[in-house]
Amino acid sequence: MKKITLTLVLLFAVQLSRAQDSCASALTISAGVYAVGTINGALPTPCNGGDAVPVAYVPAGEWYAYTPSQNYTVTITSDISQNTPRKDTRFHVYTGTCDALSCFAGDDDSGSGYSSIDVFNVTAGTTYYIAWDNRWLNTSQNTGFSFQLIEAPIVVPPVTPITYVTQNVATINSGYNICVVDMNGDHKDDIVGVSNNNLRVHYQGNTPGTFTVTDYPFTNVSNMPGWSMAAGDYNRDGYNDLILGSGSGLSILRSNSTGTAYTGITPGEYIFCQRTNFADLNKDGNLDLFSCHDVDDNVYYLNDGAGNLTYYQSNTTPGSMNLSSTTSGQNGGNYSTLFTDFDNDGDTDVFISKCSGPPCQLIRYDGGNVYTNVSAIAGINVTPIQTWSSAVADFDNDGDMDVIITASSGTHKFFRNNFETTNTLSAFTNITAGSGWDANPSTNIDNVAYDFDNDGRVDVLGGGNKIMFNQGNNTFAGVSYSGIAVGAVGDLNNDGFLDIQNGATIRYAVPNNNNWIKVAFEGIQSNRNGIGARVEIYGPWGKQIRDVRSGEGFRYMSSLNAHFGIGTATTIDQVIVRWPSGIVDTFNNVTPNQTLMVTEGASLGVNAFENSVFTVYPNPVKDQINIAINTANPVEFTTASIFDLNGRMVQEAVVQNQTVTVNQLAKGTYILQLKDAQGKNYSQKFIKE
Amino acid sequence: MVFAFFIKMKNNYLIGLLTILIIFIFACSESNDDDYTPVSPVTVDLTQVPYPKLSDYKFFEGEMKNQKPSLNVLPYEPLSSLFSDYAHKKRFVWMPPGTKAIYNSDNTTLELPVGAVIIKTFYYDNVQPSNTTKIIETRLMIRKSSGWIFADYVWNDEQTEAYFDLNGRNIDISWKDENNVIRNVNYRVPNEVQCNVCHKYKETIDGEYIEKHVPIGIKPQNLNSDYTYGTQTKNQLLKWVEQGYLENNFNLPNETNTVVDYNDASKPLEKRVRSYLDINCAHCHNTNGHCDYRPMRFPFGETGGVNGHTNMGVCVPTEDMQDFPPTLNTIIKPGSSDKSMLFYRINTTNEYFRMPLHGRSLIHDEGVALMAQWISSLTDCP
Repeated sequence: MKKITLTLVLLFAVQLSRAQDSCASALTISAGVYAVGTINGALPTPCNGGDAVPVAYVPAGEWYAYTPSQNYTVTITSDISQNTPRKDTRFHVYTGTCDALSCFAGDDDSGSGYSSIDVFNVTAGTTYYIAWDNRWLNTSQNTGFSFQLIEAPIVVPPVTPITYVTQNVATINSGYNICVVDMNGDHKDDIVGVSNNNLRVHYQGNTPGTFTVTDYPFTNVSNMPGWSMAAGDYNRDGYNDLILGSGSGLSILRSNSTGTAYTGITPGEYIFCQRTNFADLNKDGNLDLFSCHDVDDNVYYLNDGAGNLTYYQSNTTPGSMNLSSTTSGQNGGNYSTLFTDFDNDGDTDVFISKCSGPPCQLIRYDGGNVYTNVSAIAGINVTPIQTWSSAVADFDNDGDMDVIITASSGTHKFFRNNFETTNTLSAFTNITAGSGWDANPSTNIDNVAYDFDNDGRVDVLGGGNKIMFNQGNNTFAGVSYSGIAVGAVGDLNNDGFLDIQNGATIRYAVPNNNNWIKVAFEGIQSNRNGIGARVEIYGPWGKQIRDVRSGEGFRYMSSLNAHFGIGTATTIDQVIVRWPSGIVDTFNNVTPNQTLMVTEGASLGVNAFENSVFTVYPNPVKDQINIAINTANPVEFTTASIFDLNGRMVQEAVVQNQTVTVNQLAKGTYILQLKDAQGKNYSQKFIKE
Repeated sequence: MVFAFFIKMKNNYLIGLLTILIIFIFACSESNDDDYTPVSPVTVDLTQVPYPKLSDYKFFEGEMKNQKPSLNVLPYEPLSSLFSDYAHKKRFVWMPPGTKAIYNSDNTTLELPVGAVIIKTFYYDNVQPSNTTKIIETRLMIRKSSGWIFADYVWNDEQTEAYFDLNGRNIDISWKDENNVIRNVNYRVPNEVQCNVCHKYKETIDGEYIEKHVPIGIKPQNLNSDYTYGTQTKNQLLKWVEQGYLENNFNLPNETNTVVDYNDASKPLEKRVRSYLDINCAHCHNTNGHCDYRPMRFPFGETGGVNGHTNMGVCVPTEDMQDFPPTLNTIIKPGSSDKSMLFYRINTTNEYFRMPLHGRSLIHDEGVALMAQWISSLTDCP
């Protein structure tokens, strides 16, 4: 009996000497200096420093537990005189229980000589687990460093506009995780991962943070999306298809009609893909496929709507559209394209961000197959420039799309579009000075322009783990978030706040008190996604606009829903969707904090025939439609087109004396599309009896 | 010309014989040298090139796959060579009779005359399943009066002919390497625009952007070494002079200005690394190159001086950090290859991260090991 007791005591003693070898046996510490012995305990899951390079030694860790008696601002550091010379250390701080730890803080190299420092606030009574690992220690350094825990009176940091919590999704695809978009037609964003021969979709469930994981094996895809991905329903079956952009060309994953299988297609042309996009380049209602080419003229595949894709290269293929530089030696260096409407004429122009020499380009769409280079007119062709992508949005909410050309090298440049005041696509104004972009030293490869804090102003997620928050008046202030990098953006828990995917980690925005609205699309005459549609919302803030785009920034594919924050406003006076077809859907007095589902033409209810611009009467009509112009919003209509509900044009007429004669039409429901003197289109549904 | 006479002789023996006699008499009256003067069969008609077939140039004697150069087609080999997914290479240069290259400096490309052709054949030995040699492609650069043009000839499976093709393609190769290990590669035959990326020389003259093509390997610093020409071993630059291919108005580069074979472990480590970076990286990362906007300057002539280490990226912050582990915030971190962006980029096959962007899909184990050894040896920032 005595012998047994002694053995137990011995065992206990052995355990004590190895106390800090696991979370469960973590050594309890308070403020002070602690020597870390041989690192040979349980390996912590890293919070900091990444882990993508080979580990040369048996990975291990040493564990400590710290439970403050009151709230403090705590510093943990190995950059102390006890470590002379400094050691290349790394540590991680967790909260939660040993069974379910979540990352809280930590550092790799902030101290001198690759030592570690982190400063963070702690709450009285909460236990923080601190784990030092041997990730960067070589054999001779594997022992003998110390760290210090310092408690100081708590300093409450300024409130950030939005904060994030993280969720690790262990089932994430092992390959390319750069796409967040709806894949099953429920208009909720899903996580789309691609690896060799497999598409893995995490479908968003009804419970926030839950996903249904489905694998779709595919064949005939030789190009992985090493450079970019884009999503869009080019075969119009209700399910998004994918472009995978690689340095050797692009491949396509095309859905079947039930979204339950995907066909791999590799057209075979050599393209050094950079940004890829879906866009309706010739405005025929079918989504085309576009790819920036790093070392040659841009290329695209025209979709005839019958499943046929035809390859074109600008400046090369006979009959190709002018979507590349025609200047000798400047046709390459195309890093990203962003299809959006810069002159508010209802169609998509294109901005090309360029690197390795040539200046950026703004190319205006003039209908048909005609694209006109207006870079010099707009004055955005500044040199020298080295940019991989630009942020494009209406940053000052004046109703036109502005451009921030961000620097891969050099300085960022912020250009204001003056369309709203000049009514013509004229010189943009360089307003970089004092905008906050001049003081942002980070390299921005990617730019994802969204309203991340739902305050009604578009922000930019870019380099330096930073969101540049729009302060209004065309000024921005950056907030750095530890660990958050550029990634695909969408609303992954359907709470109206945009979340960010960084590999297997989802950063969920913690809702602040701001309100929001999302708009989802079902195109009929236009492409199904509404790519190229302009969305306007009106309310106490004035006006906000978005264009629906497939392919923002350099490589990521983000949500195809339009998302608006509206700050503390509680009403939305009007939502207008201007479809590429010219059809305009208008919704009055829209309730915030919802996803507004817009089917093309559906709002043109015959009873809701009043919109902000004009009224038609009588409705139903016998022989002649009369148009009453809203006197507060005067326009002059020149031509009228009448479509049936299949999108077929049945009549075209000149508007005379604000009337349109329709006595030849058969009975039925039609859409009247009016064009004003500036070429803008307006639509209204009516019944012919 | 001799070749042409043979054709004529076949057609009309008498005329052919008479012609030869006339030429012979004419030749003898011009010179006392009664040696037979062979004439190169090579034909490069600048109005017709690139020809549809490699054999059209008559660069090689006998079976073309043996790559036995015709008269005046001179083989050469740079001291330090580009890694191309372990492909083996044979290189040749040809210049029109009576023309020669101009030496400008030790570290600039020799200025070749109009009509010159640089020939580079890519092949693998011990290709599976039968351990045969398989030639993949022969790339040409041809100097026209307007500048250098590219041509590429892809060999047929029979290895009897190679056909003009600048569209690029991928070819799966399985071969047994020098260590008897079976390796596989999805070998890339370049598209024309890929040629341009590495062979690009950018300049802005009087505000006007000008882009031209330049050869990379034929710099005096790379050719200042012995090569065995049949039974003769001779310094390559001197051989070019002897051949009449290079103007004899320069001194051979000194040891400082000559690169080393980076595979030669007996050479100084630093110089091996500088030679490696020069031939594998410097064509883009130089002042006039495709990627002039990043801070690295890898040409051999710029990595040796007081700014040498800075030009190589030692302790230079990484500009482009997107999607990289944050520990890689330095291009070269002394003592730590695991924290050096350059090392990470050469030690991956992920095309979004890898360097070089073109011409490599496999990891160059020996190059990576060399770089690791050098980074480990570094202790200080410049």
